[in-house]
Amino acid sequence: MDIILGIKVQDSVIVATSKAFTRGISILKDKDDKTRVLTPHNLIAFTGEAGDTTQFADYIQANIQLFSMRENTELNSKSIASFIRQQLATSIRSRTPYQVQILLGGLNKGTEPFLSLLDYLGTRVDLPYCAHGYAAFYTMSLLDHHYRPDMNTEEGLKLLKLCNEELEKRMPIDFKGLYVKVIDKDGIRDIDFA
Amino acid sequence: MSRRYDSRTTIFSPEGRLYQVEYALEAINHAGTAIGVMAKDGVVLAAERKVTSKLLEQDTSAEKMYVLNDKTVCAVAGMTADAGILINNVRYSAQQYLKTYGEDIPIETLVKRICDVKQGYTQHGGLRPFGVSFIFAGYDDRYGFQLYTSNPSGNYSGWKATSIGANNNSAQTLLKQDYKDDLTLEEAKTLALKVLSKTTDSNKLTSEKVEFSTIGLDANNNIKLKIWSPESIDKLLKESGVLTRDEEGDDK
Amino acid sequence: MVGKDCVAIACDLRLGNQSLGVANNFEKVFQLGHVFLGLTGLASDVLTVHENFRMKANLYKMREEREIEPESFANLVSSTLYERRFGPWFVGPIVAGINSKTGKPFICSFDFIGCPDFAKDFAVSGTASDQLYGMCESLYEPNLEPEDLFETISQALLNAADRDTLSGWGAAVYVITKDKVIKRYLKSRQD
Repeated sequence: MDIILGIKVQDSVIVATSKAFTRGISILKDKDDKTRVLTPHNLIAFTGEAGDTTQFADYIQANIQLFSMRENTELNSKSIASFIRQQLATSIRSRTPYQVQILLGGLNKGTEPFLSLLDYLGTRVDLPYCAHGYAAFYTMSLLDHHYRPDMNTEEGLKLLKLCNEELEKRMPIDFKGLYVKVIDKDGIRDIDFA
Repeated sequence: MSRRYDSRTTIFSPEGRLYQVEYALEAINHAGTAIGVMAKDGVVLAAERKVTSKLLEQDTSAEKMYVLNDKTVCAVAGMTADAGILINNVRYSAQQYLKTYGEDIPIETLVKRICDVKQGYTQHGGLRPFGVSFIFAGYDDRYGFQLYTSNPSGNYSGWKATSIGANNNSAQTLLKQDYKDDLTLEEAKTLALKVLSKTTDSNKLTSEKVEFSTIGLDANNNIKLKIWSPESIDKLLKESGVLTRDEEGDDK
Repeated sequence: MVGKDCVAIACDLRLGNQSLGVANNFEKVFQLGHVFLGLTGLASDVLTVHENFRMKANLYKMREEREIEPESFANLVSSTLYERRFGPWFVGPIVAGINSKTGKPFICSFDFIGCPDFAKDFAVSGTASDQLYGMCESLYEPNLEPEDLFETISQALLNAADRDTLSGWGAAVYVITKDKVIKRYLKSRQD
């Protein structure tokens, strides 16, 4: 029931994740951040089986940081997406696959906004906007209708607000609001999303 | 006395030397020369092929030039058989990188991969080092056109113009004299052939004795990598005027 | 599909998770030298299998100092898929291309463990394969010129996809002749 949403606009990428950490019928935590920063211009948001998610995200984060240290350069978004996909595709055919859904947002080569959707099977698609899980059913039609590729960050956030309202109205449980992050040429920043 | 230290790769001599590695380096100093020159819009590799007997069947494919991936080519000096192992290894490794990261391996990373293997064989007991030096020419988005050499010890370094193999000292001197920073690919081709013609023992270059490859940009600004055919090498030799200049040189 | 000294290969662009459409830019035909590989099936495996064959084709090119021919590539596909007989890739490949030496058009389809079907007219694969067989059987005629072949393969694909809920959302068509490759995107029903 976690919400993972991403919107790519003209000069940035907006990533939103729900704050609730649930197990069964209980909300165990209301300030859970489901993202990991990989490089100054790239982050992943994740959902899926508890335990697998953080384990896998930490693993990816460590490997990307190790690459940066070894090669003395930042890996670009497309390569990170490719790397994560390979890990997931290997994992799905192992005895204990990671059950994680991932969304990668960033600036490819520090300039071009990039958004990629990856699932536990190792499927990868680069998209202008996307969502994982039930959130997709509630928000995709809104995004299909209002999204324009030439939107700026401001307009993107306005669209996200629409999505949020729809989710608050239709989701069967309280997801405790959204953490919203914007990735642009200045790096990654949190947005106060009332 | 030195026998105690030179029969194994893993052992330092009292003077702090690794004889096996030095012997390998020495072996390469007798191999055919290879030259690399970097230009602002490409890189040139030229190598001398030693024709040992006229009865020997002329190999149709290049012996000393190998493509490593879509954006890298290398020239070999030393034991070709040893080079084959490293080349197979690094070709596979480059494709593995492409599969993982969805983009071509950076040139320096590729060079590093070869050198890690080479270094391993200077340290682990019972094995001899690889008897080959390479010149690598390549292109990547981070540093543009690049030129590297590596030797049996596993060291590598980046260059504007360099040479390996027999007479590499005199070739290096000639390159230092004639190299200019804003060389075009055309000028670099001529320079490489000129230096090669002066450092080889035989006084006339032909396509039988020369191998040649370039990496540059095509009309659409895409990277174009080419190992030259014997016919085009002959044509190039004629056009560059290296042949005539060489004869004048002999007169003096 | 085979024409006169030409072949065509086409795919739709939909990527879906069951009934939910996820993307309308997911191409399933890949170019490896002058050979074309179409892959239907599990999206993850489509990507992985493409990456694997790209690697094999690249290594072949360097080793043999020439591009791989469609016939050899088809055998490579067959043996590579059968290697995974008991843990297969879930893909339905199609190989198409023109032999650079003989100029002969070549197409071939496979099941997911690599059994080849060397067709002389057309080969189909995917969730709409039944519909595609129907369309191809009725529209196809031998020895079509490139432009007519384009029309035939496009109509076959579009109309088959319209009768399949899981296919559609745009299409990409390649028409391949000995010295030219034309790629066109088709708009189609977006529902």
